[in-house]
Amino acid sequence: MDIKIYENKKIREKLFYKEMKSGLRVYFMPKEGYTKQYAIFATDYGSIDNIFVPIGEKEAIEVPEGIAHFLEHKLFEDPEQSLFDKFSKLGASVNAYTNFNQTAYLFSTTENFYESLKLLIEFVQHPYFTDENVEKEKGIISQEINMYLDNPNWRVFFNCLRAMYNEHPVRIDIAGTVDSIQEITTELLYKCYNTFYNPTNMVLFVVGDLSFDEILKVVDKSERKDYEEVEKINRVFPVESKEVNTKIIEESMMTSNPLFYMGFKDYDCGLTGREEVKKDFVTNIILDMLFGSSSEFYNKLYDEGLIDSSFGAYFTGKKSYGHSLVVGESKDPKEVYNRIIKLLESPVEKILLEEDFNRIKSKSMGEFLMGLNSVEFIANNFVDLYFDGFLLIDYLDLLETIEYKEILERFKEHFTKENTVLSIINPIGQ
Amino acid sequence: MDLKSERINIGNGIHLNFIKTDKFKSNLLSYYFLRPLTKEEVTKNALLPLVLKRGTEEYDTNLKIQKKLEENYGASLSIAINKRGEKHVLRFTVETIIGDYVGDKDYIYEVVDLLKSIVYNPVLEKGYFKKEYVDQEKENLRRRIEGRINDKRSYALDRCIEEMCKKERFSLYPLGNIKDLDDIDEDVLYSHYQKIIKESPIEIFYVGEYDEKLVEYIKNAEKIERNNITRLPKEQIISGVKTKNMVYEDLDVTQGKLVLGFRTGIHYDDRLYNGLIVASDILGGGPNSKLFRNVREKESLAYYISSSVFKYKSIMLIDGGIEFDNFEKTIDIIKDQLEEIKKGNFTDEDMEISKKSIKASTESIKDSIFLISEFFFSQILSEDNRSLREILNDIDAVKREEIIESMSRVVLDTIYFMKNSKS
Repeated sequence: MDIKIYENKKIREKLFYKEMKSGLRVYFMPKEGYTKQYAIFATDYGSIDNIFVPIGEKEAIEVPEGIAHFLEHKLFEDPEQSLFDKFSKLGASVNAYTNFNQTAYLFSTTENFYESLKLLIEFVQHPYFTDENVEKEKGIISQEINMYLDNPNWRVFFNCLRAMYNEHPVRIDIAGTVDSIQEITTELLYKCYNTFYNPTNMVLFVVGDLSFDEILKVVDKSERKDYEEVEKINRVFPVESKEVNTKIIEESMMTSNPLFYMGFKDYDCGLTGREEVKKDFVTNIILDMLFGSSSEFYNKLYDEGLIDSSFGAYFTGKKSYGHSLVVGESKDPKEVYNRIIKLLESPVEKILLEEDFNRIKSKSMGEFLMGLNSVEFIANNFVDLYFDGFLLIDYLDLLETIEYKEILERFKEHFTKENTVLSIINPIGQ
Repeated sequence: MDLKSERINIGNGIHLNFIKTDKFKSNLLSYYFLRPLTKEEVTKNALLPLVLKRGTEEYDTNLKIQKKLEENYGASLSIAINKRGEKHVLRFTVETIIGDYVGDKDYIYEVVDLLKSIVYNPVLEKGYFKKEYVDQEKENLRRRIEGRINDKRSYALDRCIEEMCKKERFSLYPLGNIKDLDDIDEDVLYSHYQKIIKESPIEIFYVGEYDEKLVEYIKNAEKIERNNITRLPKEQIISGVKTKNMVYEDLDVTQGKLVLGFRTGIHYDDRLYNGLIVASDILGGGPNSKLFRNVREKESLAYYISSSVFKYKSIMLIDGGIEFDNFEKTIDIIKDQLEEIKKGNFTDEDMEISKKSIKASTESIKDSIFLISEFFFSQILSEDNRSLREILNDIDAVKREEIIESMSRVVLDTIYFMKNSKS
């Protein structure tokens, strides 16, 4: 069998890999002595993929907002019996999530792993949509959407995305709106399914105290082999200008203190694989150096009572979009914003010191190693990195190659005043 | 293999607990201080860890502490303030990467020193805490208490408990009360701190790889002056309900939040307690539960609907997010489903599924360094000597009659509903 084994002695982990005849790629990370066994079956399809050419057609179509997430709910439909019941009977707990870029189906269990794996592959590969069960789901998802509408942290985040992006679908709510999901039909669901749930567009990742041979046997027996071959899925993204959409969005809702998200829209998109992941690292290290709990800036504003321990910053970069977010609670978000702008205008050698870089780098290594204690961390990050074209097992090695001078270069390019936006949620009555 | 805790009583109400495992890439050290949950001290207790985290004698600012942690390969420091029944628990934790991974075997001693000094050697000014730190953290605590409202689901659960247990200590919010903050200053808080250090029962947990040298090192830190060790009173358990309660709260929200509070009257050392755990799971545990199937899947009334048992206080809460107009309909379904269990209308398979799910999540404790220490800590709180294996066996042994009997003891006490009268 053409199994490939990656081994990393520094992190003391191994990764097994095989591509099935169907084109499905299967990866496995053994975790000896672990009680939990975990499998995740994911497709490179998220809420941003809402304009595409359906398989077997020529013209691109635009689908209702929230359909990827709706499809995730509906795959749990089974003609005989609730899938939740089937998994529960085996002692496994099944779940799923949809984000901007992926839809993932997963289960964790402490027994009957291989039977549960079979079930996972089968239900994801056998959709069962009926007009009746699609209609019924609209009520449940409306309640999910309403729940998010009452969540000020979610609202301040999406307002920030809407401020940054003019056209790119990352500005759309992942679950859509109560109105948009009404337009979803079985026909549309099948179109999305047939296009994006092709094995070549998916990955199966398993972690736990298990055997790769057994895993492959189960995959081979359970997977569907009648999929049409797909060359490449044709996704369409509107042209997104460099300029931000609007500088500031303010809204009032039921919350105790003002919340803010400040965004830096990234210009340098289009990278994949190692380059993209490296940019991610570099930008996150800069954010940690500037705004982390060991930064001068954080401690000064904390002492002044302008921010509290909820303050933090991170960067997300994907093929078609990217942004840094600086977030928190403050009695005066606009003042925090002004202070950040002022900080970024300081000479770069003064705010990004080499000794801080070295310290943050060693901290990032420690955090990653600690993450490897958790099968959930491993699985979720594996899938995310995989669709970026990078393997989790190489993560620490890549981190080690980052040099101080790359930090300075990236800073000049990404942290400019022009590409910033501010989103604020104010308490009602303020 | 079952995990074992090596428990060392070093006197004066201090215990060390060492749990050996080589499964993880890190080690974990936690100090737990136990206090009775009382109106008089709840706010002071909550403020204390926030102030202690600001600076030690040697590292007198947050900046210095954070740099020290980062230099030690990103050792992570966390504090927590929780209630466990009517006990108030203050926790201080560090987690560090095993020295082998970073080629620095002995650095753990530096991290142990740092945690010890956060707990025992705070930075002082004129013999008290630094006024500046106390004032800032009072403000932060005030904002955190006000911030409860931001998470509507947990806010609704808390509010139901507050209304239901109005006259009991369990109603206290673990982060305290804003009104108390005015009366706390650096002097008041420092006296309280000294009392806590001298009198509280202390449980110290270490999970990971260790040798005798490390045990001695951690033990030696505890040579502190101690007296009048606090006795922690048992929880007040109320069974039966004299007056039922219905509470509406009007807020500017899109979704209604419904919480039903029940008294179970079943203590955690009662033989029926395991039956109750299984019963609550059949009712509203996972996606195969009666509530999920009926309220969500059949009627499309809610995205989440679930039931949970509060171990130390013998209460059970059911909560769901629904449309305002579906209030009565949802309550009717919940009541019907509860009756179904009392009548024994559940299958053997329902029982098996619930048992499996409870066992799986209990067993998964073994995969988390943090949950291992929390597990052994809770065993101490409930004076439960059973091993993880024995706990799983007891869940397995639950009989149908025990599920029915335990659910028959459950009495509805309070209904809480968050709504928006404007929409």
